[in-house]
Amino acid sequence: MSVNGAVGRVRSRLRAFPERLAACGAEAAAYGRCVQASTAPGGSLSKDLCAREFEALRSCFAAAAKKTLERGC
Amino acid sequence: MLRPAGLWRLCRRPWAARVSAENPGRREITSGVSPRGSTSLRALNIFDRDLKRKQKNWAARQPEPTKFDYLKEEVGSRIADRVYDIPRAFPLALDLGCGRGYIAQYLNKKNSLETEIPTVSVLADEEFLPFRENTFDLVVSSLSLHWVNDLPRALEQIHYILKPDGVFIGAMFGGDTLYELRCSLQLAETEREGGFSPHISPFTAVNDLGHLLGRAGFNTLTVDTDEIQVNYPGMFELMEDLQGMGESNCSWNRKALLHRDTMLAAAAVYREMYRNEDGSVPATYQIYYMIGWKYHESQARPAERGSATVSFGELGKINNLMPQGKKSQ
Repeated sequence: MSVNGAVGRVRSRLRAFPERLAACGAEAAAYGRCVQASTAPGGSLSKDLCAREFEALRSCFAAAAKKTLERGC
Repeated sequence: MLRPAGLWRLCRRPWAARVSAENPGRREITSGVSPRGSTSLRALNIFDRDLKRKQKNWAARQPEPTKFDYLKEEVGSRIADRVYDIPRAFPLALDLGCGRGYIAQYLNKKNSLETEIPTVSVLADEEFLPFRENTFDLVVSSLSLHWVNDLPRALEQIHYILKPDGVFIGAMFGGDTLYELRCSLQLAETEREGGFSPHISPFTAVNDLGHLLGRAGFNTLTVDTDEIQVNYPGMFELMEDLQGMGESNCSWNRKALLHRDTMLAAAAVYREMYRNEDGSVPATYQIYYMIGWKYHESQARPAERGSATVSFGELGKINNLMPQGKKSQ
């Protein structure tokens, strides 16, 4: 569990997640609503049911990551 | 007051090595053979105790370990309250799984006669207590028994080391703990990966607690439940705090990897399903407090059938009745 090893790199990347997630509030809410709708009575959750919303969230997240990299954080 | 914490390497290692050699790389619950001649093969091997020790050591080595102590401090103070509810003095007490010690400080402050309770720290395993029979007047355990593999045996050992008329006061996490996190991860993993694996430990149910304590030999049981809700900015902060507390998952059947996509999805689901008005997300910790006594002749027992001297019909006149006859307990 060294600070400079693989686990250390993963941890430092993980620490940036909340900030980037905050930048994608709308997409996250859309994905969350889609998953929550499937938990309602009569709905069922299967793989990739909300793939479209998740792709939107993921591309927003990647864009936010690029922006913070360009900012030099 | 003796405070054991962590693992006792001498006793633990041979057994743990044997289990992992038989199951290299397999991720399933193994039922190990219970050591030291237990009567049945009921011992479960759910948690990797060596890994738990490494996780706790890692958490203690972090720059600011005490900033994650808020939950344990709160539960420690509530346990100290329960100790104070018992109008007795306890000359010798044991704090099982004490970590940095969250109960003694509350017992210090209120007690004006002595400012310091002398303590000795012992490194031991909760499942193999290195104490003689009838040693302690009081055993407390705050939020550490949920990592014990063989809980019936641990409770039996606690009962063994208590003196007659000694008391055990414990606090454990209950079934509703972190249900928001568990549900979010479950839904996100199902949607993203097609299935899910458990990321939160199994917790003891409140009915089972009563049975376990009874089976271990405790009398006059009391189990009550409490919920503490802590608000976090988001799911990642919650997971970071759990890691800092040394409460990361260490089940044998845990998945080695949590995909970034799944984590992102779970954070989005968590926020959407459970967030508060101010944008923070809550995490629920359900705590079960249990009190059990070791048998002593002076303790109250249920009266014999037919030995009643007053009838329930006279309940309205109880103020007159009580100084006269014997109080039937």
